[in-house]
Amino acid sequence: MLNVASPLINGLKITLQHLFKKPVTLQYPTERPVVGPRFRGLHALNRFHDRSKCVACYLCPTVCPAKCITVEAAEDPITHEKYASRYDIDILRCIFCGYCVEACPVDAVKMTENFELANYKREDFAYTQEMLTDKK
Amino acid sequence: MVNLTIDDKQVTVEKDATIYDAAKSAGIKIPILCHDKKLHPFGGCRMCLVEVEQMKGRLIPSCTTPATEGMIVRTSNEEILKARKLVLELLLLKHPVDCPVCDAAGDCDLQNLTYEYGVSKNPLQDEKFRWEIDYINPLIERDMNRCVHCGKCARICDEIVSFGAYTFINRGIDAKMGTAFDGPLDCEFCGSCVSVCPVGALLSRPFKFKARWWSMQKVKTVCSYCGTGCQLTLGVKDNKVLTTIYDENQGFHNGQLCTRGRWGYQFVNSEKRLTTPLIRKGNSLVEAGWDEALALVASKLREAKGAVAGLVTPRLTNEELFLFKKFFTDGLGCESIDHSAGYAHGALTEAAVKGLGQGASPSVIADIQKTDLLLVVKTDAYETHPVLGFEINLGVKRQGVNLRLVSDKKGKLSRLPGAQTLVHTPGSEVTLFNTLTNIIITEKLADAGAAALPGYELLVKGVAGYTPEKGAVATGLGADELTALAREYAAAEKALILLPLGLGYPGHNATLAQALLNLAILTGRIGKEGSGVLFLGEKNNSQGAVDMGIIPGAKGKDAAGIIAGCASGEIKALYIAGENPVVSYPDRKKVEAALEKVGFLVVQDLFLTETAAKADVVLPVCSFAEKDGTFTSVGRNVQKVTKAIKPVGTSKTDFEIFNKLFAEFTGKPLYLSSQAVFAEIAESVPGYAGLTWAKLGSNGIVRPVALSPKFVPVESVVSVPQPGKFALLTGSALNHSGTLSQYGEGPMMVCPEGYVEFGRDDAKKLGLIEKGTVTVTSDAGSVKLQVKLGNRLPAGVLFAPYHFGVNSINTVAVGAPVTWVNVAKAE
Repeated sequence: MLNVASPLINGLKITLQHLFKKPVTLQYPTERPVVGPRFRGLHALNRFHDRSKCVACYLCPTVCPAKCITVEAAEDPITHEKYASRYDIDILRCIFCGYCVEACPVDAVKMTENFELANYKREDFAYTQEMLTDKK
Repeated sequence: MVNLTIDDKQVTVEKDATIYDAAKSAGIKIPILCHDKKLHPFGGCRMCLVEVEQMKGRLIPSCTTPATEGMIVRTSNEEILKARKLVLELLLLKHPVDCPVCDAAGDCDLQNLTYEYGVSKNPLQDEKFRWEIDYINPLIERDMNRCVHCGKCARICDEIVSFGAYTFINRGIDAKMGTAFDGPLDCEFCGSCVSVCPVGALLSRPFKFKARWWSMQKVKTVCSYCGTGCQLTLGVKDNKVLTTIYDENQGFHNGQLCTRGRWGYQFVNSEKRLTTPLIRKGNSLVEAGWDEALALVASKLREAKGAVAGLVTPRLTNEELFLFKKFFTDGLGCESIDHSAGYAHGALTEAAVKGLGQGASPSVIADIQKTDLLLVVKTDAYETHPVLGFEINLGVKRQGVNLRLVSDKKGKLSRLPGAQTLVHTPGSEVTLFNTLTNIIITEKLADAGAAALPGYELLVKGVAGYTPEKGAVATGLGADELTALAREYAAAEKALILLPLGLGYPGHNATLAQALLNLAILTGRIGKEGSGVLFLGEKNNSQGAVDMGIIPGAKGKDAAGIIAGCASGEIKALYIAGENPVVSYPDRKKVEAALEKVGFLVVQDLFLTETAAKADVVLPVCSFAEKDGTFTSVGRNVQKVTKAIKPVGTSKTDFEIFNKLFAEFTGKPLYLSSQAVFAEIAESVPGYAGLTWAKLGSNGIVRPVALSPKFVPVESVVSVPQPGKFALLTGSALNHSGTLSQYGEGPMMVCPEGYVEFGRDDAKKLGLIEKGTVTVTSDAGSVKLQVKLGNRLPAGVLFAPYHFGVNSINTVAVGAPVTWVNVAKAE
């Protein structure tokens, strides 16, 4: 008899203890999570003067395992510098592995803490360079 | 042979091999930066250092050290690796290491070696170079900050291209690769320097930032411009041809390309490409569907009831040409087909057939470097076939070939060491060669077997009147010069004659070719290695067009006859595939009038050319990059063309269109593929017997030729000078080929419009300046052209290229070898 009752009592003890502890679940969206410093959220492009820092070296689309990055390069007509005339990420395909950040030789692409990527239309998941570049 | 040991491996090599060559043949890799198999050893970069047991105490550069008997070589040990690492560290000291924005990344020898040797940090420190970067040049971008001083660009430009645009300038740490007076690059823009640059110091500007090297698909195919048949590697990405890639192991030319082959690829993905069929409704061409267009073509061809003629470009593949011929003979029952043979390829279709029994050159390209005496008719051989020009350069400079030129103007070939140019009166080539033949006969220098060949008596009689004295008067040369050339030609053990052909060279016709063949047969040159005659067909498949029988049948008309037939109404429907007669055939006015007169005109082309604009139906077709097939180049080399991209728009290959029409008109089943047609070619075309698609491989096969030499004496027609007028010669510009290169951006960046070239003395007399405008008037018409000044033309002679649709030179030139014109300064 005793053998049957003790595990049950022990289990209930734990349950009762938790009634008086702080809850693990967050009351999202009213409550916000604390995001770790190395969290891999939505990408962003660092800014350098009037455009993104990206020099269109094509290393991120090359390394990307999901092939979700499209880059096109162009030449600045005055300085002859290489820049990205197009930098699109299809976030629906992205697996947030962070290889693009690792591959970037000029610290242009980073990953932010933004994880709230839900949207209503598929088109809205195609992020362009303008949307990704840090605001001035 | 020499025996040596490399890394404990026994290697046997030729006597003239270096240690590097020996290692390579044994499959041992030694790193190099400044060495190139096409160039003389340089020994500048010191990456290839090895240790030789017999020369201990210092490391030996393997690319400059000859392999000797019993050598014991070690290609890698701690000391060698340390030395190589130091070389890289020293190079990276000044190099900007801007790989992310450098187009060479991925295909960069310095980058690859740095990675291989793990040079991740540099114990040395210095300031970087700050040379100004040349962004002005439209084709070649020069960033000397990235240069590793391998000197390959200067060496290839000097040794193979023979231009000499680059050299090292300054001394010590300030040394750099520069041009004359460090000015802008002003050369022939073949891009050989770009192809051999191991880093990103020299880059292709049209390709700049277009794609990364590793992301492109590399497709090996054959160039579609001139008849040389250079192999080409296309860089393809996203169904677009973005560039040409250098592969030093491709073809007889080792990947070497000319200016149009390297920079003229843009026509493939040009925005001007036709994407849908067009049908004439009223005065304009309206877009239509394929079914509608083809149905209209079929019904109109039926209506014409046999009064149909066809003009086809020798740029199509053998399979397409074969099918075109079958469609005309079996399907339509018409024999009037031509590929401008009468204008440009009479040498093959008439002279070679009469004199040799087969419409092909008796010699092959490899003969150029094997011969002792090379006789080139017109210095223009360089402009029409630049890569064969490189072969001539190499033959003269490395193999000791004696170069003799008979030409109406000087040219780049005239400047080669030991080259002698006989500048004759324009249009007197046939007289000149008949005179040489006469001299050889009278001086009894002919080959012993020549007298037994058919036609010998006729030849002796035919050339009897061409004495050196008379020849001298007609050609403007000295009788002694002619005699000396004849003796030299007869005395040489091996002698080869080159004759460039083309629509711009109406004088290079069957008569001239026959005169050359007589000379070659007389001296016993036919069928011997390093000897004979090489006809340089103008287009990529000129030889193939002749082989496939794209010449008028017994009752058919040739190109000139077809144009005349259209004008007279005898021909009711004309089918033009790829030709642009309005610009390239003689007498534009006449051609235009004929095309307007003809009842029904179909043009199938890549672009809405001047000819296509006059058509009733225009069918858009694919370029060489969008189809499979074979081309037969100069010297009868049959090579495979590989499809690189999908057809642009709704365009179809010429093969598909001919196949459909052939099936519809004959009721026979469709051919399944080009291979199937090639199999039929192998069965039915002489010389192609036994060839299979698989056998062609990557380098193609030189098809055999059976020759039966015969003398056919020819009379020269002398062009009588008209007092006070200039002799206008037409021909090819270096950057262009036919009218197709007008749609390539590269050639148009350097040579965007037609011009007329003057000698400096003539220009001075007329008060003309470079880039001024003149009106050139002949009996046929007049045209306004830009002035170009040069040093190569004799007094009273002008030159104009024929490639351009705007102000085309065929407005004044009507097909005579020499056109007599008046020149007036235009306002």
